[in-house]
Amino acid sequence: MRRLLKQAALATALVIALSCAVPALAVSDIPYDSYIYNYRGYIEFTPAPYVPDGSVSGRTLGIGDFVSPQDVCVAPNGLIYVADTEYETSVIEITGDGEERKITGTGRIVVISEDMTRPVMEIHSFLNDGQIDTFKKPCGVTVSDRNLLYIADRDNNRIVILNEERTEAVQIVENPTSEMLPEGYVFFPEKVEVDYAERVYVTAKYMHQGIMVFASEGDFMSFFGTISVTTSFWQRLWRRFSTKAQRDRGNLFIATEFTGIDVDPAGFVYASCIDPAGEQAAFRLNPKGEDVIKKGENGNVGGDLDKYPYGPYAGASYIVDIIIRDKGIFSILDSQRGRIFTYDSEGNMLYTFGGLGVQTGTFKAPCAMAVLGDRILVLDADRRELMVFSETDYGRLINEAVGLRYDGNEKLAVALWEQVLVLNENLELANVGIGKAYLTEGNNKEAMKHLKLGMNRTYYSIAFKRYRNDLLKQNLGYILTAAIALSLGLYVWRTVKHKGEGKGDLLADD
Amino acid sequence: MIKQYFTQDRLYYFKKTLSSPSDCFYEIRYREQGSVPLALITVFIFSVCYTMDKIFAGFIVNTVDPRDVNGLFDFAAIFLIVFLFSIGNWSITCLMGGEGRFKDILTVTGYSLIPLIITFIPAIIISNGLAANEDVFYFIILGFGLVWTAVLILIGIMTVHNYTLVKTFATLFLTFLAMFLIIFLALLLFDLLNQVIIFFENIYIELVARG
Repeated sequence: MRRLLKQAALATALVIALSCAVPALAVSDIPYDSYIYNYRGYIEFTPAPYVPDGSVSGRTLGIGDFVSPQDVCVAPNGLIYVADTEYETSVIEITGDGEERKITGTGRIVVISEDMTRPVMEIHSFLNDGQIDTFKKPCGVTVSDRNLLYIADRDNNRIVILNEERTEAVQIVENPTSEMLPEGYVFFPEKVEVDYAERVYVTAKYMHQGIMVFASEGDFMSFFGTISVTTSFWQRLWRRFSTKAQRDRGNLFIATEFTGIDVDPAGFVYASCIDPAGEQAAFRLNPKGEDVIKKGENGNVGGDLDKYPYGPYAGASYIVDIIIRDKGIFSILDSQRGRIFTYDSEGNMLYTFGGLGVQTGTFKAPCAMAVLGDRILVLDADRRELMVFSETDYGRLINEAVGLRYDGNEKLAVALWEQVLVLNENLELANVGIGKAYLTEGNNKEAMKHLKLGMNRTYYSIAFKRYRNDLLKQNLGYILTAAIALSLGLYVWRTVKHKGEGKGDLLADD
Repeated sequence: MIKQYFTQDRLYYFKKTLSSPSDCFYEIRYREQGSVPLALITVFIFSVCYTMDKIFAGFIVNTVDPRDVNGLFDFAAIFLIVFLFSIGNWSITCLMGGEGRFKDILTVTGYSLIPLIITFIPAIIISNGLAANEDVFYFIILGFGLVWTAVLILIGIMTVHNYTLVKTFATLFLTFLAMFLIIFLALLLFDLLNQVIIFFENIYIELVARG
């Protein structure tokens, strides 16, 4: 009995020791699941493309906590700008006769060094026509190629453009006037972006007509990329049968506002909006303001396909920001479920990461994103932190492979896609990538195999046609011989059989 | 014992259904040349073909998720539909002066599935050699089988009940209504039964908990 007990204890100890020793069994430290939607719209879990890599807050920088920060951007020189929207600030101005005057404001702009360890600068105030001026809830911030700082100073109804030293306003954009704008329009700029020609793109609160574009001189030019309103048949029918009083009290069919913008070097404007249907939350606007986004295999660039019919997570993704990454890749940020969805230039979902929670790497109220090299920064207004995500091998391989394909080097991408397949065997994108490369190479059989795994019927069909033609060309002699032999044999057999048969049918002469 | 259902004559009429349905269905009704087991075997083979199509049809035409294919489920569903149709038709034609018996209707339905079986097999084979814009061939073959089956059912029902064409259409329409009615009543029955069961279950729980 004792021996038995001893053996059992030993076995248990061994099992425990073994399970600790095998690293693959260890629970991953990543606080969220990464997944993509496959061809059929089912969730397929993937390795994490990005992992949490610490966070930066006002406290870690030693400058006092952020208060409801709303925007983050990375300047061309690598400095990170955070719009700390509701930070109460005051500046002491010493007037000419030695008197001290206190000027209060709400909000500051915090500039963080590239390595995210120290604050480079805090902008509480600036000189406006020689006078000290402060902000009032600055919501958006961006830096132009000429290193000017654009700040959407929301509750002051203006956009402030600061000089390179960030001390003095070089220009103030305010009171936009145009016949397109209603009488007495009050300007509440929220997100701001600048393109290569110094045109300023602004999303404003209560402005449903699209993105507002300002010329470099600060004049309002036009609206850009209006979201069209679609009503369903039932809505129209319902409206038709309702009385005027009902119609007045009912919901208005107005376009949703844009929530985030980003401008790529080629001048295309990417914008995000909240789509209650969850189908299209990202727009790619050409210089004419037309949407030219591609929606990929699943016909969707709206975040989650799975809309969770009930529960605290219910509803379509609530997309609050968009960022352009390298090589046509873009990411959108869902504040409803704290997820970041990344798509390639063709609108195929590449990967997702992020989630709601309280651990590092999860969010409470994510509101803005920025790219810093191969890292992604996500600003959380509620947690007052800038979450940092760095790419894993999996994420890097996908990014690079997609980049190579974007440049037309499908052949070079194959090696990367094969490495991706080692990490995630089910990735349709990788299989399609390999399949297309084999197709151009002329290896139709391998192409067919991979394109079938990637569920791409169009390209599979091309590969299959070529394969079939090759097969026919090679074996035409045998096939024709077999056909002739078969018809001859059949003919002989039938004549022999007919001679031997004398029996009539049961259903005679019907 | 079993042999009587598979006599030479019965097999002959089974085969001949395809080419001369009127005569065969007449023989089935009035000269006892039909075989219910043969009809049920046909339905079974049809259900197998139906599942095979989901699994083996070419990639281009096949949109079914292989993980969702369940042969037993298909088998049950097809038998259910065949029986539902037969029962519905029987219950209507009984009231409308039809001469067919239940076994005739079942036999007709079963035999009528032969065209679909013999079109499924070449369709599956051909679909594996088709590219994207050639998939019409597959659908034409299947559509042909479907139309053929529909014609056979129409002629069969008309013959075994000794109906005119118009009356056949009328009864077929009523048959579908009857099928829906049966489904509705069945669901109602299940739901009510379920509630009764829950009622007794609750009484039991109450007794056990208080006792």
